[in-house]
Amino acid sequence: MAVSAQPLRPNVASANVQLPGVEDYGQVDREISATLNPSKGWFAALGVAILLFLWGAGTWMYQIYWGLGNAGYNPPVMWGVYIITFVFWVGIGHAGTLISAILFLFRAGFRTTIYRCAEAMTVFAVMTAGLFPIIHIGRPWKFFWLIPYPNWRLIWPNFKSPLVWDVFAISTYLTISTTFLYVGLIPDIATLRDRCTNPVRKRFLAVLSLGWRNSEPEWRHFARMYLFLAAFSTPLVLSVHSVVSFDFAMAINPGWHTTIFPPYFVAGAIYSGIGMVFTIIIPIRKFFKLEHYVTINHLDAAAKLALFTSLVVGCAYLVEFWVAWYSGNAFEKDYFMNRVFGQWWWSAWIMLTCNMIFPLSLFSQRLRRNPTWLFILSILINIGMWYERFVIIVPTLAHEFEPWQWSGYLPSWVDTSILIGSFGWFFMWFLLFIRNLPVIAIAEVKEVVPPRLRSHARGTDIDSSGHHRDYGTETPGEFD
Amino acid sequence: MSQSTETAGVKRRDFLKVLGAATAATGTVGCFQEDIEKLVPYLNSPDQTVPGVSNYYSSTCRECSAGCGIVVEVRDGRAIKVEGNPEHPVNRGALCARGQASLQGLYNPDRYRTPMIREGGKLVPTTWDNAMQALNQQVAQARTNVKAREVAFVSRHEAGSFGAFADNWMEALGFGSHYQYDPEADLAVRAANQATYGAMSPALDFSAARLIVSFGADFLETWQANVPQQLAFADARAKLQNGPRFVYIGARRSLTGLNADEWIACKPGSEETIAAALASALGGGSTTTAQAAEASGVSVETLDALVTSVRDIRPSLVLSGVTTPNAAQIAATVAAINKAAGNVGVTIRLDGALTSFAGAVGADAMSRVATSLNAGGVPLIFVRGANPVYDTPKSMGFAEAFAKAGYRVSFSSYPDETSSLCDLVLPDSHPLESWGDAEPVAGVLGLQQPTMDVVFSTRATPDVMLAVAQANGATAKFPAKTYRDWLISRTSGGAAAFTAALPKAMAKGSALARTAASSRIASGTTPPAAIGGTGEYFLQVYPHAVLGAGAGANKPWLQELPDPVSKICWQSWVEIHPMTARKLGIERGDHVKVQTASGSITAPAYLYLGIRQDTVAVALGQGHTAYGRYAQDIGVNALDALGATWNGAGALALTQSMATVAKLNEYSELVTTEGSARQHGRELAQAVTTAQLAAGDYGERPHHELPGDASHEFLPGLRSPVAADAQGDLANPKAKDKGMYDPEHPSGMARRRWAMTIDLSRCTGCSACVTACYAENNVPTVGARWQGRSLRPFHSSDGSGWDTRPGANILKGREMAWIRIERYFEGGEDGTSAFDTRFLPMMCQHCGNAPCESVCPVYATYHAPDGLNVQVYNRCVGTRYCSNGCPYKVRYYNWHGYGETARRQYAFPDPLHLQLNPDVTVRGKGVMEKCSFCVQRIREAENLASLEKRDLAPNEFTTACAQACPSRAIVFGDAADPMWQVAQQVGDRRGYHVFEELNTYTAVVYLRKVNHTGGEGVPTAVPPPAATPATAGGPR
Repeated sequence: MAVSAQPLRPNVASANVQLPGVEDYGQVDREISATLNPSKGWFAALGVAILLFLWGAGTWMYQIYWGLGNAGYNPPVMWGVYIITFVFWVGIGHAGTLISAILFLFRAGFRTTIYRCAEAMTVFAVMTAGLFPIIHIGRPWKFFWLIPYPNWRLIWPNFKSPLVWDVFAISTYLTISTTFLYVGLIPDIATLRDRCTNPVRKRFLAVLSLGWRNSEPEWRHFARMYLFLAAFSTPLVLSVHSVVSFDFAMAINPGWHTTIFPPYFVAGAIYSGIGMVFTIIIPIRKFFKLEHYVTINHLDAAAKLALFTSLVVGCAYLVEFWVAWYSGNAFEKDYFMNRVFGQWWWSAWIMLTCNMIFPLSLFSQRLRRNPTWLFILSILINIGMWYERFVIIVPTLAHEFEPWQWSGYLPSWVDTSILIGSFGWFFMWFLLFIRNLPVIAIAEVKEVVPPRLRSHARGTDIDSSGHHRDYGTETPGEFD
Repeated sequence: MSQSTETAGVKRRDFLKVLGAATAATGTVGCFQEDIEKLVPYLNSPDQTVPGVSNYYSSTCRECSAGCGIVVEVRDGRAIKVEGNPEHPVNRGALCARGQASLQGLYNPDRYRTPMIREGGKLVPTTWDNAMQALNQQVAQARTNVKAREVAFVSRHEAGSFGAFADNWMEALGFGSHYQYDPEADLAVRAANQATYGAMSPALDFSAARLIVSFGADFLETWQANVPQQLAFADARAKLQNGPRFVYIGARRSLTGLNADEWIACKPGSEETIAAALASALGGGSTTTAQAAEASGVSVETLDALVTSVRDIRPSLVLSGVTTPNAAQIAATVAAINKAAGNVGVTIRLDGALTSFAGAVGADAMSRVATSLNAGGVPLIFVRGANPVYDTPKSMGFAEAFAKAGYRVSFSSYPDETSSLCDLVLPDSHPLESWGDAEPVAGVLGLQQPTMDVVFSTRATPDVMLAVAQANGATAKFPAKTYRDWLISRTSGGAAAFTAALPKAMAKGSALARTAASSRIASGTTPPAAIGGTGEYFLQVYPHAVLGAGAGANKPWLQELPDPVSKICWQSWVEIHPMTARKLGIERGDHVKVQTASGSITAPAYLYLGIRQDTVAVALGQGHTAYGRYAQDIGVNALDALGATWNGAGALALTQSMATVAKLNEYSELVTTEGSARQHGRELAQAVTTAQLAAGDYGERPHHELPGDASHEFLPGLRSPVAADAQGDLANPKAKDKGMYDPEHPSGMARRRWAMTIDLSRCTGCSACVTACYAENNVPTVGARWQGRSLRPFHSSDGSGWDTRPGANILKGREMAWIRIERYFEGGEDGTSAFDTRFLPMMCQHCGNAPCESVCPVYATYHAPDGLNVQVYNRCVGTRYCSNGCPYKVRYYNWHGYGETARRQYAFPDPLHLQLNPDVTVRGKGVMEKCSFCVQRIREAENLASLEKRDLAPNEFTTACAQACPSRAIVFGDAADPMWQVAQQVGDRRGYHVFEELNTYTAVVYLRKVNHTGGEGVPTAVPPPAATPATAGGPR
C-alpha cells in the first residue's frame, strides 16, 4: 500500500501530506464510507463499551444511594478520582478543537485526515467530562443550582467561584465544539445521503445535511462559516482549560496557588488530547484500512506536536519546582518535597516519566514514524496525564497547611468503576459515531486529491504535469 | 359487606361501593409508605411545659464518684443536654466528657427495656409483676438460708445516701455486706490522706503552689475528681507570674504528665525511693538522691534538682497517684512530704475537702466476695451498676465464683458482662430518671432529681428495694413508699425544704450523717508485693482517660473521642517507646503480644515518646464481651494480663508485673485522628516561657505589611477585619451601600462580631469540649463497625462486603468532630524525655476573609454581618471546594447518610435520636458541615433579648465548648463590645491567629501557652524543652 511507498528520508517528507494512495473522488467516497458498515468487531467493541458504561452507571446509582463515602475519599482529600477524571477528559477535549480550528487557521495540512476524528473525540470527551462534576458532588440532584437561572428566591450562583466559571466554560465549549463538528460534517452528510438506499435513513440524512446541493454559494457560505467558527473556537481552546486550572489556581493551597497553571494546563490538555488522538486514530486506520489516508507523514507531523507540547509541559513541571524553591514559602517547599520524594513519589514519577521522559523518544524520526510505538506511547501519555491531575489534586490536599490533618488517599472500587464506566461511555459514543458518520472528512480529503475531471474535458485541457490548463474566456459555460 | 342481603348475589351499587373503597384503600396504602404521624397539641399542658421551650433541671452527675452538679436541659419531655451547674461548689459549671455523655447512657439503644428473667438458660423479657414476685420469693428464701449473712450486694460506688441506704437494707433483711465498688478509685491516696490530714480528699489549691510534683497522680483525667482539679490547675497555670512549675514523675507521661513542665521518667515502683529522698531532704529520713537514682533509673543531677526545688520552693503541692503494689507507702510518704513542707492548709486545703469518695472499696473486696461465693451455698447476690466480672482480673476468677451463687440479681441498666450472667435483671432507671442525693463537699447536699419520665420500662433500684423491704417485713425500718419519700423523710425541713432545694439541687446539710452507715467492711488486706514477674519490660496499665475502667465504652461519643494522649479511638493499643520499638523491629500498628505470668494481651503498637524505654503501657476500658453494640468486640481488656494483686489500701495494683513483649506478624492500622504530631515549624500552637514573659517578651512576631495584602476595613472589635469581599459592597471598602454589613444597618447585626479566645496556657487537652459539641450540635459518631464503607460491589445480608473494622470511617479520616484537640510534640526527636506538648483546640476560625466562602458556587457558605462564617445545609450541593480552601481543615462532610434511618450508617439508633438538639438540623447525606459558633445559641439569646426589649448582656450566653471547658480556656462572645470578656482578651499580647500570614483574619484568637521555667530565680537542672521551636524556618 501507500505506506511502504512513503520514503523515510529526507525528513522534509513528513511535511508532505499529499495522499498518493488516493486516486479519485470515487475512491474517497467508497473507502471512507466503508467505515460505516458494521462488522462483528464493531458490535463486540460496542457491546463491551455499553457494558462498561452500564457498570459505571449502576455504580453511580449505588453511590447516590449510599453516599460518597463508598468512594475512596480520605479527608482532607475531598477531591479525588472524579475531579481528576474530569480534568483528564476536559484535557482530552482540547486536542480536537486545536487540530480542527487552530491548525486550520495555520493551514497545517496534516490535520485534514485526522481532524474529524479529533473533533468527535472532543465532543464526546467534553460530554464525558461534564458528567464528572455531577458525579462528584454530594447532592447530584441539585447540580442545577450551579446554573444561573431565574428563580423566585432571587438566588444566583456565586460568580466568584471558579466552579461557576467552569459551568460556563464547559457548556460554552461543548456548544461550540458540537457546532463546529456538525458544520464540518454537512457536506459529508450530503455525500452519505446521496449514497444511501434506505429511504428512512436517507430522509434523516437529508434533514441533517440541511439540503446541501453542492452549489457554489453553499460552498462559499460553508467556507466562511467554517473559518468563522475556527476563529471563534481558537480562544476557547486556550480559555477553557485556563478556567479549569482556575479551580486550583484560585484556591490558596500549596501546589495550586500559582500563576503558571493556565498555560501549564492548556499545554497539558493539548498534549493529552494528541495522545488520545493517537490512541484512537492508529487502530482506526489499521482496522478500516485507511493507512493511505492517515499516512505515516500525518502521524509524524502530529508526533512532532506531541513532542513540542511535552516539552512545554515538562518545562512547566520544572518551573513549578523552581517557583516553590524561589518563593521561600515553606508550605510550598514542603509540599513539593513530599510530592516528589515523600508520600507521593510513585505518582509523581509516573507523571514525570510518562510526560517528560518517554516523549523524548519522539526526537527519533524512526520512532515518530512507527505507529506501534506511537500507540504504546499514546497509552503512556494517557496514563501520565491522568496521573498529572492526580499529582496536582491529591498530594496538595493530603499535605496542606495543617499538619494535624495530613492524610493519604486510595480510590475504592466505586471510583474505579465509574472511571472505567466513563471510558465505556466515551467509546460507546465514539463507536456509534464511526458507524454513522465518516471518521475522515470526505470533503476535505477531496480537496487534497486530484479533482475529478469533467466528462467533456479532453486530453488537450490537461498539461503534461496533470494540471488543467487555464480556462480561457473562450470556454463559456465552464461554471454552469 | 353489604347489609342488603335479601337477594342473592352482589348488587351493582354494592359492587361499586366495594370497588371504590378497595381502590381508595389500595391507593392510600400504596401512597404512604410511612406511618401517619399526628402532631397533637397538649389539651392540658403540664406545668411549666411550653412546646419548643426548654426547661432546666438541676441534678447530680453520676458518671464518676465525684458528684458534680449538673443542669439538664429538657425539651418537650426529653433531656437533650447536660451542662455543669455554675453554682455547684465542686465543678463550678464545668463538666467533663464523661458527664456530657451521660445522655448516651440514658438513651443507650442497648439498655434493658424491660425486666429480664432467666428461662431455659436465656434471659427473656418479663413483666415487673413477675420480676418483683421472683425477687421477693428469692429474698424470702435467702433470708431463711443458713448462709443469709453471706448474701452480698455489690454496687458501683456513688456519692450520697445510697451506700448507707443499701447497707441498712441488707442489715434489715438479715443479709451480709454491701460493697460500694469503684474500680477507678485511688484508695491508697485516700487512706494516706485520711491518716495524715484527716480528710480523704482535701481540696487542692494549685494556684497557691509554686511547685507541683505529681507522682503519677493523673489529676486531669481519672485521679480523684478531675473537674475541680482541672479548674484549679488551669487557674494556676494561667498565672503569668509566680505560677507553679509542674514536675511529673512516672514511667508514662499521661495527659497530666503532658501538661507538666518537666517529666522525670522513673521506673514503676521506684517512686517510693524518690519520695523517700524528698522526705529526707525535708528532714524525714536518710535516703539519698544517689540511692534514688540507682533505684529509679533517673540521673542524680535530675533528682538533685528536684530535691532542691522541693526543699526550697514553698508552698508546693506534692501528689501521689501511683498504681504499683507499694502505692500505699508512696502515698503515705508523699503526705508526709506535704506536711513537712508546710503545704497542709495552704495548697492542701481541708476546708472544702471532697467527701464524695467515702465508702468506696476496691478489687480486694471483690476478691472477698469471690472467696465467699466459691465456698458455695451463698443463696443470693445483688449487683447494681458495678460490673466486677469485667473489671476484675480474669485470674481472680470472679466470673466462676459468681456462677456459684444460688441466685443472681442484677439491677443493671445495661446488658454488661455481669448482668448477662444473672438470673434476674430488674433494670435500674438512669440517674437522669431517678431520685438521689450526694454530699460532694462536707455540709453541702447535692440532690439528684428525675429530669424526665423513664425511657424504658425501668424502675429506680431504691424504689424496688423499698418494695422488697416492705414485702419482707422490714416496713418498720423502711416505711417510705418511694426513695424520694425516704430522702424527704431524712431532710431537715421536710418536703418543703426538699422542694425548695430542687431548683439548684443543692441544700445545706449532709446525707451521710443522717444514715447510720454500716462499717463492717475492713480496709486493706493483702500486703503489697514488689513488682514481680519475668520479662524485660514493666507493664503499666492505666484507666482510660475517657472510658475509665470500661463503664464509658458503650457510649459512642466516648468511643469516638480520641484518647487525649494517643489520639486513638475505637481501639486498644500498646504504648511503646520508639527506641524500644526499633530495637524489637516493631512499627506503628504492628501487633504486639504482652505476656505476663497472669496472661497476655495483643494489640497494635503505638510508638509514644512519653514512656520509658523499659515500659509498655495499655489502657483499660475496651475488650468488652457484652455491654452493647458500641462496646462489644473492640480492643482488648488490659486486665487479662494482670494478676489479683492489690496495694495496701485494697485497690487493684494496675502496674504490678514485668512482661515480655513480642512482635506478631499482624498489623492493624491505628484508628487515630492524628495526621502529623509535629508542627514542622509552622507554629500553629505557640508558647512562651515565664522567663520570656518576665523579660517582657510575649512571643509576638514582627508583622510585615506585604504588598498585595487583601483590601479590608476594620469592623469594631478584634484586630482582624472583615475583608471587603464579605461586606456586600463588591470589594469596594469605600462603597456607600454595604447592606446588612453596614454597622448602621437597622438590623444592627454588623455591630456585633462574634469571636473566641482560646488560652493555651489553660487548655489541658482533656477534650470535654469535643463531647459537648457532639451533644449540642447533633454531630454524628461515625466509628461504629457497621458505619464503614463498602468494600466490594456485592454485599451479603450478613454485612460482609462492608468495612466492619471499628473506626473504619476514622481510618479514612472521616471523623465529624467540629472541634478537635490537636496535640503537637516539640522536641524529643532524639528519644529523650524532655519534650513539650502543645494542645490546640481547632474549630472553624470564622475567618473575616474566608477562603471557603469565595469558592462555594452556590453561596452555601457565606459571611454573616456579625462575623459568623455561615453554613447553609439546605443550599449545599456538596462540591467540597470549601474544604479544599480551608487552611484549617475544619470542614466535615457527610459521606454517608448518618442521619438517615434506612442506611446502615445511621448514627442515632432508637432511642439515641431522642437526644438530638431540636434547634440544630440533622445534616443529610452529601452536605458539608462545620462549627457554627453555636449559632442556635446566639440567635436564641438575641431573640430572647429582643423579646424582652433589651440589649444582650455581656457574657449572657456562651457556646457549648466554652460552657463545658473544665479549664476555662475557651471564651466566646462579642469582640465588638468591650464589656464582653472576649473583647478584653482579644488584645492580649499573648494573642495570635493561626496562619496569620494567609490573611484569613480569623475570629479565633489563641493566647500562647505559658511554659513555667520554675519560680523566677530558682535554678533548675533540666532546661524546659519548649523554649525554642523545634525547627527553624517558617512561612514568614
